[in-house]
Amino acid sequence: MGDRIRRRALPFSLHDITLGDASAHELAAISERMGLALSVDEMRRIQAHFHDLGRDPTEVELQSLGQAWSEHCCYKSSKVILKEFIFPVQAPYVIDRGDAGVVEFDEDHAYALRIESHNHPSAIEPYGGANTGIGGILRDVLAMGAQPIALADPLHFGPLDYPMEKLPRSTRHPKYLFGGVVAGIRDYGNRVGIPTVAGCILFDEGYLGNIVVNVACVGFGKKSQFVRNRVGSENAVFILGGGRTGRDGIHGVTYASVDLTDKAVEGWEAGAVQLGDPILKEPLIHACVESAQAGLLDGLKDLGGGGLSCVIGEMALGGGFGAEVDLEKVLQKEEGLAPWEIWVSESQERMMLAVLPENVDRVLRIFDLYDVPATVIGHVIPEKVCRVRYQGTVVLEMDLAFYTGGPEYTRPYKPPATLPSQDLRLPREPQDYRSTILKLLASPNVASKEYVIRQYDHEVRASTVLKPLQGVIGKAAHGDASVIRPRIDSWRALAISVASTPYFTAIDPYRGGATAVDEVCRNLVAVGANPHSLTNCLNFGNPEKPDRLWFFREAARGIGTTAKALGIPIPSGNVSFYNESARGPCPPTPVVLGVGIVEDLRQCVTSDFKRTGDPVVLVGSTQAELGGSEYLRLREGTAPAPTVDPLGLRASTEHLLRAIHGGTVAAAHDLSHGGLAVAASEMCLGGDIGADLKTTAMDPMRWDVQLFSESNGRWLIEVAKDRYEAFTHLMEGIPTTYLGTTGGRSLHLGRGRQWTSLAIPAMRKAWSEAIPNQVVVS
Amino acid sequence: MKRSNVRVAVVYIEGTNCEDESVAYFRHLGAQAEKVHLKQLTRDAPADLRRDLDDYDILMIPGGFAAGDYVRAGTIFAARMRSKLSKDLVAFVKAGKPVFGVCNGFQVLVEAGLLPALGGVMTEEPEAVLATNDSSHYECRPSLLRMENAGSCAFTRTLKKGQIVTFISAHAEGKLLFPEDREKRILKELIDNDQVVFRFVDDRGKYAGYPWNPSGTTFNLAALCNRDGNVFGVQPHPERCFFRHLRPDWTRADQGDPVYGDGKAVFEGVLRHVERRF
Repeated sequence: MGDRIRRRALPFSLHDITLGDASAHELAAISERMGLALSVDEMRRIQAHFHDLGRDPTEVELQSLGQAWSEHCCYKSSKVILKEFIFPVQAPYVIDRGDAGVVEFDEDHAYALRIESHNHPSAIEPYGGANTGIGGILRDVLAMGAQPIALADPLHFGPLDYPMEKLPRSTRHPKYLFGGVVAGIRDYGNRVGIPTVAGCILFDEGYLGNIVVNVACVGFGKKSQFVRNRVGSENAVFILGGGRTGRDGIHGVTYASVDLTDKAVEGWEAGAVQLGDPILKEPLIHACVESAQAGLLDGLKDLGGGGLSCVIGEMALGGGFGAEVDLEKVLQKEEGLAPWEIWVSESQERMMLAVLPENVDRVLRIFDLYDVPATVIGHVIPEKVCRVRYQGTVVLEMDLAFYTGGPEYTRPYKPPATLPSQDLRLPREPQDYRSTILKLLASPNVASKEYVIRQYDHEVRASTVLKPLQGVIGKAAHGDASVIRPRIDSWRALAISVASTPYFTAIDPYRGGATAVDEVCRNLVAVGANPHSLTNCLNFGNPEKPDRLWFFREAARGIGTTAKALGIPIPSGNVSFYNESARGPCPPTPVVLGVGIVEDLRQCVTSDFKRTGDPVVLVGSTQAELGGSEYLRLREGTAPAPTVDPLGLRASTEHLLRAIHGGTVAAAHDLSHGGLAVAASEMCLGGDIGADLKTTAMDPMRWDVQLFSESNGRWLIEVAKDRYEAFTHLMEGIPTTYLGTTGGRSLHLGRGRQWTSLAIPAMRKAWSEAIPNQVVVS
Repeated sequence: MKRSNVRVAVVYIEGTNCEDESVAYFRHLGAQAEKVHLKQLTRDAPADLRRDLDDYDILMIPGGFAAGDYVRAGTIFAARMRSKLSKDLVAFVKAGKPVFGVCNGFQVLVEAGLLPALGGVMTEEPEAVLATNDSSHYECRPSLLRMENAGSCAFTRTLKKGQIVTFISAHAEGKLLFPEDREKRILKELIDNDQVVFRFVDDRGKYAGYPWNPSGTTFNLAALCNRDGNVFGVQPHPERCFFRHLRPDWTRADQGDPVYGDGKAVFEGVLRHVERRF
């Protein structure tokens, strides 16, 4: 095969690849050797294309196609399914769908939102992987011309106490990965000065071989500053702003588009993980936002997967044009980079600006004030062709329709031969409810995440109105959503929350996807926000395996169907496939980030009990839906996963929001992991006030079902006692159950002759010490 | 001087990240504030962008991670400032004009020798250091601070001595340390000179350890001023409690100022001082 790769006699490295009559076997070998991760069929299509042109492709061209046609860049396995279920979920107030979705905030302002995965790099190098994950998602929002205003991070690891000797080969210990990822998010997010305000952390053995690290960002700005991710004029030039280009991050997208095998791990270690630099990103954000605000940009896009090789073509073709680039003008970190390396490098902190000639000097001046490098590297041309030169030699010349027209597959999908049972087979009722509840509070999925939350700066930009931890200072507990005030001259604000539902998805992916939407909406409603838009990150296994694709498809159907029924648009999203290791796929993990509009932030409520003597009311109805619940993770048994009733949720949302805005609600908390018992405990902990709650009205269900069911569409509400009548009036027609009142120093739970009592200090100890006990070395 | 004539320079370099809100809040209170890159003051910017420190009435160094804090918090910013702006800075402070450092800005002022400045307006060597927190990591949490200043500090005369305020701590290096052999003497001097401004307390008003003292800082010190009271450095962020609805427990409080939080007092205090003094 060696003779199929011929070096040209030039002062720099450039090879032509003789595809001519190469056999399937040889094509596979070329793809393998060059690290293209293209299939034989895809290589054949390239072979035919260059055969028609009557020439051989250069390595720059083949490498570019490897990037552009990767799963990561062109969504070749997911697009058909996304088109069916996710893309149609729209609303008239969606302004743009680019690297991030852009949604109207008020008459003059808009916000941007996006989530994506950074699973594989974080599994190899957790600190650097998480670092560049944050860096990348910031650029996606920045690429719309928006000022990033908030970050959120849903994280999934193996159990922190997993025995070292049982750890599979080539995998890092969960404690190491957890520490590295948290530190990576902390050090990047804090340095760049964007608050990390939301997230979740889940633990499961299924994530041992393949962690799931998702990163999300919300941006904000005047409508006039938002830009498109494509060039608008054939006169525009391309300015590459930000970091220099080097060998770090070569083939990131290709390794992200295959399973995490030992071989892929080696590939990542050889340099596919990029190096983040938040102290370059911080001024880069200012320079781009200022250029956008001054109206100097004709287009803007970030350099992420595939680097220059993806951004130029997509920006140019998006505007209906082509592009010419001179690669030697790209500022480089080191000497001796081959043209193909410059072209596909994923070096961080880079943005591509399309700028009209008359504005170039002003843009360069802005970048210069911030000490951020920026150079003109090319320009737009009218024909839809991408032409790249290096020291005068054309190293790439491809028709853009072919270049960016990656394949689109309708791959087969089918459910696995067996799915976990959803029959109702509950374990024997606990003898000791107190210890069961304490165990739940100490289970890592439920326990306090304060250790992590307080390492993230969630207050920078001085606009975090509701924090991730809510309640008495020094005693705060988990809130449902954070609220950001983007303008100091308005009371209108944005609520942000995330939900991730791998346990439900594993037994019923449709319900799992639907539940993620339900949960994120009730989180937003709990603080008094109207759910307004969603973005989703779908983390699944190898799509070439029909059962994995079935899980993906069902989860996407659940998300899309529910969002549509609720009338909430999904203007952006991300798919992460190949989350597989030698242990098999990671748990199917749909993650949804929701943004809600708060009309008047002064009406927001938090999750902590406020005062003694207030009525406590359960909103929503409870079923024996314990499948995938925290309770059944502690004990043996099977049960159905929670169903979603979008119309019911819509009705209860409308009523509950009226009750909150009417000032009748003192505290609200959504019921999720651990059900009613955990929600009530957290409200006691945050407020440092007990409660006396009787669930007899929920009979004849077993008490464990009443306390631990994770049925959707439910909230626990502390009603202001002098407004109780107004509350019940506003909630008319919605299922509500009066449970008792707040007060005392313990949480008393009872039903008929059954009762239990938990003192606040005991609950606080179980809940707050669980995570630090597993990670802090003292 | 009329408030609308008070000019505030909020100075930043790469990695400074609290400049926008700081500018916004000074403007909100009626002053003229602008963010100024350090190189605009050191004549390293194009001519039309150059600024003269002397043209401003208040200098603020906001929070962030200036130059990444990669050596030690505030060191690089302080070194750049000292190398090219020393004369202007000393003249500014000697003229009695206020210098305001928050969080990373406090670290910069200490590294630059502008605080506690026991040995002169701007000492050759730093007299203290803001070291890594006892927890060894970043701490973002609400802090309760007792105002301890008897009146020397130009920023806190809007508060009563003994009053407890809520600001937001957010730092990895907030542990104020003095040379061990001189610590007692320095502390005594700071108290005698009325240079102690805020100290961390717990929810019962007692000087307490972690997490109420988030870093393990000496003597629970959260904020200092120089002898003349016009250079002020505070570790927790007052601007993050500028409005009532930024206070971490505002949903629990029915009373109090309907618009502003505790942090506004410091901004208001320094503006009133400038209005009266100049």
